[in-house]
Amino acid sequence: MDDLLTDLGQALVEGSLSDQDLLARTGGPLPVQILPEANVIKVGGQSFIDRGRVAVFPLIEEVVANLGRHKMILGTGAGTRARHAYSVGLDLGMPTGVLSVLGTFVSMQNARMLNYLLAKHGIPFIEPAQFAQLPLYLAERGAVIFFGMPPYVYWQQNPAVGRIPPHRTDTGSYLVSEVLGARSMIFVKDVDGLYTADPKKDRNARFIPRITVSELRAMDLQDVVVERAVLDLMENAQHRRSIQVINGLVPGNLTRALEGESVGTIITVD
Amino acid sequence: MTETNAYHVRSLLMRESLLDRQVERSTEGAVFRMLPEAHVLKIGGRSIMDAGRSVVYPVVEVLADCLKTWKLILGTGGGVRTRHVFSIGIDLGLPTGVLAQVAAADALGNAHMLGTLLSPYGVVAIPPEIFGHLLPLFIHSAPGVVFSGVPPYSLWEHPPGVGRIPPHRTDAGAFLLAECFGCRSLTLVKDVDGLHTADPKLDPSAELIPEISVAEIRRRAFPTLPFEPVLLDLLENARLLDRFQIVNGHEPGRIREALEGRHVGTIVHADRR
Repeated sequence: MDDLLTDLGQALVEGSLSDQDLLARTGGPLPVQILPEANVIKVGGQSFIDRGRVAVFPLIEEVVANLGRHKMILGTGAGTRARHAYSVGLDLGMPTGVLSVLGTFVSMQNARMLNYLLAKHGIPFIEPAQFAQLPLYLAERGAVIFFGMPPYVYWQQNPAVGRIPPHRTDTGSYLVSEVLGARSMIFVKDVDGLYTADPKKDRNARFIPRITVSELRAMDLQDVVVERAVLDLMENAQHRRSIQVINGLVPGNLTRALEGESVGTIITVD
Repeated sequence: MTETNAYHVRSLLMRESLLDRQVERSTEGAVFRMLPEAHVLKIGGRSIMDAGRSVVYPVVEVLADCLKTWKLILGTGGGVRTRHVFSIGIDLGLPTGVLAQVAAADALGNAHMLGTLLSPYGVVAIPPEIFGHLLPLFIHSAPGVVFSGVPPYSLWEHPPGVGRIPPHRTDAGAFLLAECFGCRSLTLVKDVDGLHTADPKLDPSAELIPEISVAEIRRRAFPTLPFEPVLLDLLENARLLDRFQIVNGHEPGRIREALEGRHVGTIVHADRR
């Protein structure tokens, strides 16, 4: 026995990583919260940034007003241009991994645009390779912007149905909040939260202020307000076990959500 | 609330929720194969690279010979160093995404060692930052390439259901690459003949299972598998790959036979064929 290694270390070096008993031993105490003061905010693409100035400018003002009070890590959605690229790409036979690359480009465009609107406040846009600098930027400037797509590119998994990348900007933003042990995960959209149906299409859609992932699964909705992968990942999460979806078109909602108030739909895991 | 004033560009998915199941179904269709002639091999970390010269040199010799016939994309595992950094990282309380990020360096080190040994044949390790985008160029300009099998999940790795070990490691990286690029085959080169009825390292009476489906593997709930369990999910959803083969690299001749399309280890196949 090598006494430099813990028992677990020895078991990991010698054992099989597909052994459930060994894997269970790797759970340990909760991981450290890397940035427990940070809030991750996902700004919708189609639902928000594509609306242009009328939606984006007030939100930018609200972000600026919260500088110094709340640390914010802003992820961007992709939106209508990603849908266009996906449509053309699907017609051309592009695999899911290539569609993921295309989605990344669009969410990067949105991140760059938000970056220029916040530039005078010294807020940087960082790519995945620059995440090591994120803590410094957050400490110095109080906010950073990243593109919401997880950097899976060609390694994006196929969905069970269809070919659209299943892990898009909701998932990428959520995983940032989970791995950093962030204080909150707020999805800024153009609807008040989760409804029993798409409120843009169905006038009878009923609002749901608070729900658990298992309740949501039991409802088996045709459409949901966040990527289904987020719900799957939440069930395995160590830290970020609740998320809030808010209507960013309503002034003050982001601020109230940052204060910990419930202003949209809160989704939790039991 | 029905009409938005968003600036849309016209497309089939223009006003659709990509989360709508019906919309999801409408996006199914034929997938273009980028590299239909290339074969992907994952060279095990602990099983091959860590075993040192006596195992690696004969494997390299066979690979060098195969490179005269086939275009090879060679991924490497991280092996014992990855296990070690996992154990230290877990002890320090670091989350799965951080474990995935730091572990990538071990497989990359192995890629560089394999690339060094294959450099007389024009095959080198490609930096991960450019590997995916330039892969078709490399494949058409060189007999093959080496990459760290690690998928670029990094901080965005999924927290697993049990424990904290990153579920998408180098088998998954090699699989996803072969699927996305529409490669001809995926072979996992390990130190066992394939999947057995029990772990052959613990139970000498374990018998080799020559071929098995994903559903059958799930049904039999083996205590261990000689590949990353997440491959079962990935194979279920694959559109281009319908199988992979596990071969024993300690019998290096089998690598060549596997590339010839011969059945020399365990073939795991998808149920929808």
